[in-house]
Amino acid sequence: MDESRTTPLHRWHLEHGANMARFGGYDMPLWYPAGARAEHLAVIEAAGIFDTSHMAVLGLRGDGARDLLQRSFTKDLDRCQGRDKGPLPVGRGVYGVFLAADGTVIDDAIVYRLDQAAWMVVVNAGMGALVGGHLERQGGAGVRITDYSDRLGKMDLQGPLAARILAAVLHDPGPVLAGMRYFSCKGGFGEIQTPMPVRLRDGTPLLLSRTGYTGEFGFELFVAGDRIEPLWQTVLAAGRDLGLLPCGLAARDSLRTGAVLPLSHQDIGPWPFVNNPWLFALPWGDGGKGFSKDFLGAQALRDDPGDAFTLPFAGFDPRKITVGKDTFVTDLRGDTIGQVLTCVTDMAIDRVGAIIVSKATPPAAGRPADFKPRGLSCGFIKVNRPLAIGDVVVITDGRRRIRVEIRNDIRPHRSARHPITSML
Amino acid sequence: MKDLSELDFPETVRYTEDHEWAAVDGEVVRIGVSDYAQDQLGDIVYVEMPEIGDIFEKGDEFGTLESVKAVSEIYMPVGGEVVAVNEVLVDTPELINQDPYGAWIVEIRATDVGEYDELMSAEDYIEMLRG
Repeated sequence: MDESRTTPLHRWHLEHGANMARFGGYDMPLWYPAGARAEHLAVIEAAGIFDTSHMAVLGLRGDGARDLLQRSFTKDLDRCQGRDKGPLPVGRGVYGVFLAADGTVIDDAIVYRLDQAAWMVVVNAGMGALVGGHLERQGGAGVRITDYSDRLGKMDLQGPLAARILAAVLHDPGPVLAGMRYFSCKGGFGEIQTPMPVRLRDGTPLLLSRTGYTGEFGFELFVAGDRIEPLWQTVLAAGRDLGLLPCGLAARDSLRTGAVLPLSHQDIGPWPFVNNPWLFALPWGDGGKGFSKDFLGAQALRDDPGDAFTLPFAGFDPRKITVGKDTFVTDLRGDTIGQVLTCVTDMAIDRVGAIIVSKATPPAAGRPADFKPRGLSCGFIKVNRPLAIGDVVVITDGRRRIRVEIRNDIRPHRSARHPITSML
Repeated sequence: MKDLSELDFPETVRYTEDHEWAAVDGEVVRIGVSDYAQDQLGDIVYVEMPEIGDIFEKGDEFGTLESVKAVSEIYMPVGGEVVAVNEVLVDTPELINQDPYGAWIVEIRATDVGEYDELMSAEDYIEMLRG
């Protein structure tokens, strides 16, 4: 195996006792001494920070950039905002995927409109060159593509106290955070600029995005590579008395799974992007029939939607299986019907009677006073037939057989979309 | 992950290659997993244990530890009949992380206590971990 790459925070992770593992070609923290359970719960109840400097970032500039994205990205940038489906304004981002001509997934991404003719595309670890090359091949006049992946540092600040912690480290936080909506961005640094500057109290410029990969309220912070360690330390100090924890990839994985968010190349990948929980990434036309634009892969999705169905599930206790080549899904008679894509334990939830309750569930919505969740296994399966919400199937590694329920959602009462006014 | 020098390997118990520990008292052997095992696994969120009266041979799988990272089988250091299971671990599996030598998993009545003497000393176990 070739040597792992590292982020600018690598030394900090090692010095702070992180349990490290290779992910996306990078040597990354799985958890710190507090442990993945405490980290997962911190993001539900307080806040956590994640080193996400391994993510790749592309810049697209020029009059042809919008057209290139319209032809290659699944979201319709002219019709994706709000109920009336307006165009993506400057300072907003949108989630979608890049498909190959056969309708299979190259990678998922958030595309931000930084300015009239400047776009930022955030893709997964190690995918900058591949997606950048793919976009170059789609061609088009008047667009310049720049891969910033090795030049920037990125961290995610996630959890209900994220805005309070952020306010303590920003210069003049009032106007920055005022009205900052889910999937909006402000600020910038170097060549990556939106119209409104955002600075830390020490003057460091940053790009701030109200997004994340946990299902919880929070932000992604982008800075120049040499500014990420001071930023990480400053945020950590600001949140220390509020229960903020540095969090590793294990907590990130269990949080995103509970929030029904896919991991690219695991839950979506080299098979057609159909019959899955993330079809909101497609540019549905009025009434949900047909697509509002043409794009690479659209024809394949229309002509050959395939016979695979990807569905979220939750178990009845914390037991899971370790996903590998010998893991599969059976029906209750024992017939194999598919494979397991992701299986983790969301440690903030448990079953209370007929419902799943989270540590964030309000008492009025069913959280008992003495609620102490043991956690529930959850994840995604890909099966060869449609299944209904509430159906029970078995996931197995050939040794254990675990009954799980097909769900349309997993961890309830997530905070990602809460208005920022209620979080300050 | 901790350095070996930060982990605890008491000399009062013996160890297996699969990272269980065993402590003998007469013909009863108490069994758990080592500090190295819990550190490798990360937070343990569920423990599957056998029933009292179950009989195992040395090396048999007798339960599983469910951590945030993976599912790990646990194996009998010596053969015998289960005479007690640590019910406290049902609701507080994290005790294995916090106190791996206090948080025993099962007690068995050994078929042949001689098997205990074949297990590794702390010194041999640390030597094995150093590779």
